[in-house]
Amino acid sequence: MELTKNITLGIYLPGETSIHRLDPRTKIIATTLLIILLLFIRSYEAYGVFFIFTAAIIYFAGIPPRFALCGLKPMLPVLILMWVFQLFLYSTPDAEVLFSWFIFTATDTGLHMGNMITLRVLFLFTVTTMLTLTTSIVSLTDGLESLLNPLRKIGLPSQELVMTMVIALRFVLILAEELDKIVKAQMARGVAFDRGNFIQKTRKIFPVFLPLFINAFKRAEELIVAMEARSYSGGKGRTKMKTLHMGRVDLAAGGIMILYAALMVFILFSVSPRI
Amino acid sequence: MNLSVRKIVISGILGAISILLGVTRLGFIPVPTPAGHATIMHIPVILGGILEGPVVGLITGVIFGLFSFLQPGAPFFADPLVSVLPRLFIGVVAFLVYYSTKRINKALACILAGALGSITNTVLVLGMATWRGYLPPEVSISIGVLHGVPELVIAAILTVILVKGIQRIRTTED
Repeated sequence: MELTKNITLGIYLPGETSIHRLDPRTKIIATTLLIILLLFIRSYEAYGVFFIFTAAIIYFAGIPPRFALCGLKPMLPVLILMWVFQLFLYSTPDAEVLFSWFIFTATDTGLHMGNMITLRVLFLFTVTTMLTLTTSIVSLTDGLESLLNPLRKIGLPSQELVMTMVIALRFVLILAEELDKIVKAQMARGVAFDRGNFIQKTRKIFPVFLPLFINAFKRAEELIVAMEARSYSGGKGRTKMKTLHMGRVDLAAGGIMILYAALMVFILFSVSPRI
Repeated sequence: MNLSVRKIVISGILGAISILLGVTRLGFIPVPTPAGHATIMHIPVILGGILEGPVVGLITGVIFGLFSFLQPGAPFFADPLVSVLPRLFIGVVAFLVYYSTKRINKALACILAGALGSITNTVLVLGMATWRGYLPPEVSISIGVLHGVPELVIAAILTVILVKGIQRIRTTED
């Protein structure tokens, strides 16, 4: 039972394309805008335009399409199941019946609802994957920190929050090693993790969880002492070795995003929604 | 608002455990239902609320929510309204329950906080998924019963055990 072998947290594909070179702030804002647009799309025409735009981003970022979509594979069974649920269970009183079988009735509103939601999930996934594929974790946190900075004025400790995220990401791998040791130690003591029914399997998580949490908290106490000894004081007056700069490419990207968003809003208002 | 070093570190590490449970699939307990697995990924969030108060509970909830948004285990988690927003309340609810009942009995308070934190997760996530139209109401109710109940039981037991164990090694008592 190798638990930690397949950890691929936010895979990043290094590259030299214009998408890679964009300021992380530009990319975060653009992704947020795309996600907001997606939440409002309710017609096939709008999805068509969205598809063209997403495909263009994947093309310009030089990401193999296979790579951009591979994360979807484990989700596929659930996605299909959800589509089937919508098809048979969602309907409105004036819906047209497509076919019935046994106690199940498929209606056209159910079909559209299923399609819309499946497409939304597919695109949400692709858009967020594109962000992590083209941006390293370090520049993502830098960008996030810089974007959240204005919120300091209303009392939100942005730098500290980003520090929390960084600690979380760093400690995943450290705790993964720890977890591996605990699991092996318990297996050496004769705990068979892969055997037994649901209740027996559930009971076996206790001898793993307790040492994992206790060790994590021991490490936390050590880290607190270490940080306090070095007088860590959050964001006040802290400077960076690498500062972020917006360039011409960011200006161009911003312009494209505004035009695209305007086009999408126009489509959203002019095409009658399917659901 | 000022975050102490302690709060930053504890929320970070609890967030790390939550992510770890997700990436290793250790946080998913196979329950034979269509929606897949019952989860125990929200337990670090509950612990954060109990041990360090509502702020840590909230931040850990954000990390848990962001992670399930970026690496969705089920399709509807690709919507931040389903994956992030409901998770903000888990730690806060756990804190409120623990704080208001700990005078009676600490162990009982942990059990109640674990159970109600878990219920918050189940009800809000499924409620949001239904409201956004990803799941028909009948399906979410059946998932809620089939997943929510085992999640609740495991969360209640684990919370009381873990809080006892952690409080023994901590330098500061609450």
